[in-house]
Amino acid sequence: MIDTLVFVIGGMLAAATSILFASLGETVSERAGVLNLSVEGMMATGAAAAFGIATLSGSHALGFIGGGLAAGLLSMVFAALVLVFYANQVAAGLAVGILGLGISAFIGKPFEGNTIEKIPKLDIPGLSDVVLVGPILFHHDVMVYLACAMIFIVAYVLKRTQLGRMIRAVGENPQAAASNGIPVRLVRCGAIGFGGFMAGIGGAYLSTAYTALWAEGLISGRGWIAVALVVFGSWLPFRVALGAYLFGGISLLELSLQSHGVKLPSQLLSASPYLVTILLLAFISRDQYRLRLSRPMALGQTYRNES
Amino acid sequence: MLDLALVPRTERSRSAPIVVPLIAVVLTLICGTLLLSLIGKSPAAVVHSFFIQPLSSLNGIGEIILKAGPLILIAQGLAIGYRANVWNIGAEGQLIVGAIAGATLAIIFETSNSVFLLPAMMLAGAAAGAAWAGIAAFLRVRFSASEILTSFMLSSVALQLLYYLVTGPLRDPMGMNFPQSIVFGSAALFDVLIPGTRSNMSIFVGLAATVLAWFFMSRTIHGFRLVVGGMAPDAARYAGYSSARAIWLSLLIGGACAGLAGVGEVAGPLGMLQRNLSPGYGYAAIIVAFLGGLNPIGIVFAALLMALLYVGGDFAVVSAGVPNASATILQGMLLVFYLAASLLFTHRIVRKSVKVAA
Amino acid sequence: MTTRRELLALTASAVALAATANAARAEGKVKMGFIYPSPVGDVGWAHELDEGRKKIVEKFGDKVEAVTAENIPEGPDAARTMNQMIADGAKLLMIGSFGYMNDGLKLAKQYPDVAIINASGYKLDANFGNFQTRNYETSYIAGLAAGYVTTSNILGVVAAYPIPEVIGIINAFTLGAQKTNPEITVKIVWLNSWFDPNKSQEAARSLVAAKADVLFSLYQDTPEVVALAEELGVYSISTSSDMKKYAPKKYLMGMGIDWSPHFIDVAAQVLAGSFKGTSYWGGMKDGAVHAASLTPDLTPEQKKVTDDAIAAITAGTFHPLTGPVMDQDGTEKLAAGVAIADGDMASINWLVKGVETRIPQ
Repeated sequence: MIDTLVFVIGGMLAAATSILFASLGETVSERAGVLNLSVEGMMATGAAAAFGIATLSGSHALGFIGGGLAAGLLSMVFAALVLVFYANQVAAGLAVGILGLGISAFIGKPFEGNTIEKIPKLDIPGLSDVVLVGPILFHHDVMVYLACAMIFIVAYVLKRTQLGRMIRAVGENPQAAASNGIPVRLVRCGAIGFGGFMAGIGGAYLSTAYTALWAEGLISGRGWIAVALVVFGSWLPFRVALGAYLFGGISLLELSLQSHGVKLPSQLLSASPYLVTILLLAFISRDQYRLRLSRPMALGQTYRNES
Repeated sequence: MLDLALVPRTERSRSAPIVVPLIAVVLTLICGTLLLSLIGKSPAAVVHSFFIQPLSSLNGIGEIILKAGPLILIAQGLAIGYRANVWNIGAEGQLIVGAIAGATLAIIFETSNSVFLLPAMMLAGAAAGAAWAGIAAFLRVRFSASEILTSFMLSSVALQLLYYLVTGPLRDPMGMNFPQSIVFGSAALFDVLIPGTRSNMSIFVGLAATVLAWFFMSRTIHGFRLVVGGMAPDAARYAGYSSARAIWLSLLIGGACAGLAGVGEVAGPLGMLQRNLSPGYGYAAIIVAFLGGLNPIGIVFAALLMALLYVGGDFAVVSAGVPNASATILQGMLLVFYLAASLLFTHRIVRKSVKVAA
Repeated sequence: MTTRRELLALTASAVALAATANAARAEGKVKMGFIYPSPVGDVGWAHELDEGRKKIVEKFGDKVEAVTAENIPEGPDAARTMNQMIADGAKLLMIGSFGYMNDGLKLAKQYPDVAIINASGYKLDANFGNFQTRNYETSYIAGLAAGYVTTSNILGVVAAYPIPEVIGIINAFTLGAQKTNPEITVKIVWLNSWFDPNKSQEAARSLVAAKADVLFSLYQDTPEVVALAEELGVYSISTSSDMKKYAPKKYLMGMGIDWSPHFIDVAAQVLAGSFKGTSYWGGMKDGAVHAASLTPDLTPEQKKVTDDAIAAITAGTFHPLTGPVMDQDGTEKLAAGVAIADGDMASINWLVKGVETRIPQ
């Protein structure tokens, strides 16, 4: 029983980490008014690049950086499309997403089905051995804690800093922001790049730490879940994180119940994050005033500065 | 080069609808061959297997028609909505639900020889697809929930519904527990178009949709209202048109088309309901809609081009030995370049020395 | 893990292969097409099928030319690849997944002069055969060994779908384990997905949390479950490929598959123009399946038990599913001394007593 509790609650932190990185990145991008639907492709590119780099160099740190940069580079293609060429965000996101899936399969080809050493779990003397709490909270790899830290960092930056105010202003009303002297395109470009980098880190976590394997199809829809979670969390980092951990926990709980012989309608469970998000979306959108509190009003709109 | 500048156009460009796709195709060709020669493939052989081989056999042409059919059909429906600023990106789910509805009839009336079975399946598929998209319309109109997000998330729900049905109620009882339905009877299948190929009569559904879309958008007052209602809700309300109506109409039409395309798959090349229903037609159709400039005629050409890329991709894998990821990369590139080049729809390139104040 | 040097060699050989493929076109060799549902990779289902292809090329040299297409989903596009290979002149098609069956059968009717063989399907025609292996024979051996090494008496299985072949493998595995350890219970996690390495890895963790100390990676094309078992210090068993290199310490056994006897046989028939569609169900006596890298942790007495079982199955004197066998509800399915018939084995849809998890409906 204790093992199962540790598996579900402790495992939840690691299971959510890749999605959490990606959705925090997407949160920033959307708060700046840019809906980037290429997360799945960016995660795949990050995963393949990180795996390749970590395999060839033997360094996980280089792998993570490389994965983040590869996806960040890809997100710059998206940024160019929407910021320089005024392309529709939905179309540009899908295009770059497809490109990313293709690129990941291409660069990952020589490594197909290979495994790699996982990054080590941190053992904190004293803490890691405490009954229940130790294995749940203090027996993870460094990226799990980094993802947790990112929740606070993103929330702080968005809410309390000048940079955060600029990001939000650009997402609310880019024309007004521009007339207040905020470099709209630069801010949006930075937000997109951050989103790409984080998605790449999320992908890299899957391929070099969580499952430590590259195979085409490794991401299996996690990028889309990351996009959905941003809405689920109504663009607020803490709620987005809550959604990610909940999602990780529920999927582990399903497996755990199965391994204890409990019969479950697994399809209903797999569909539940989407159903809940749709309902929640209807609930928060219903109240325009409440929505205005967090939803970036210019989300998805093309910004042109010449009019 | 340096003394060129971009200036917004004051009127619609006549040449852009031809020039823009051409630029995209040429850039894709250049980058694609560069990429493949990087991994030691002869560019000539790759171009030959991608673009010439599929067109030089009846079988290849049949495959292109087969692939273009659902893309045309779905993209026509989506483009109507996109013109009205209604972003249905859940066509994949609407296709799946349509396929389920059509397949359910084919499974219930397994032994039927009736000529009405296939039309009934098409009707059921279109209705189911429209209903699925209707959920997103309802949520948008009633709760102002973004249809981009809801329609997309409903696709994931539809996929799980399909998985449930093919492992449960609609599974072939004699199929050894494999997650798929019975093989349909011939009354539930489209007739073959070109003998010896897999192409079938469902292509005419796509072409009919093209004619209807063209007529609807350019010749009827509904089409006009739709565009106005979606683009400028305030102006439309002032003129007595409703944006709610634009949302409903866009999503229902898009859903019905996608649902119909789903029936085309189960009653066409698949001949049964299975987990892998669509190789992402619902998403590829979004690319097609944009690539075709949201224009009914443009969409037909865009769909044929996309189909050529898919089929050519297979030829290239089998005959030229290129990795099968290359077709995916080329599709991504094509749309990226197209979206970039689309700037020419609204802007023109001028020499700085003769720059006019915009 | 593949080293850099191996990678370079791999790329070089791939280029060389492509070059020979192009050279061959002119000379009128007999062309053979191989279609795999997943990437070939280092291990797994597609890898073993591809090993069979290599043996054909080795055996018949420049009389044959083999083309491959990997990672072809079982959807509307699979038939296009098959068509394409036939249009390119292939005289033999090996279609490596159940999901290709109906498309393959249609093509077989359309092209009577092309031989098609289908992995794990059940339909037959004059020029359409199917093939599978008696993996339950090796899973029984794995079960015997698992019964010896477990201390918790709980064995965990990570499986995709409850198709008859998978159920047969789990049943033989359970019966083998019960033979050496009557206290055994078997837990299964059904993934309901052919391919999701992250999820199968999580499923393996959940089984270990439920006290399983032997993990059975059943038709997982990638080695994550085996690698994870090593990391967690529990034993692992894998299908299709020997995955010892991913778990050098705690690898219990690989259910090795060798398609080459059958593939070479079929290729010879095609070259001679005498191909007839048949059902091939290769077992230990055909050299189609074998126990690979059996753990050295067994005592000599225990090793003798597994060796004897292998000998008896190979000789055809013992069938792993021999009564008395009860299903999960305690109903007797096979009376004492009666072995299951091949037809019943091929469509088996009940699990034996001792398996805790039910078949999802």
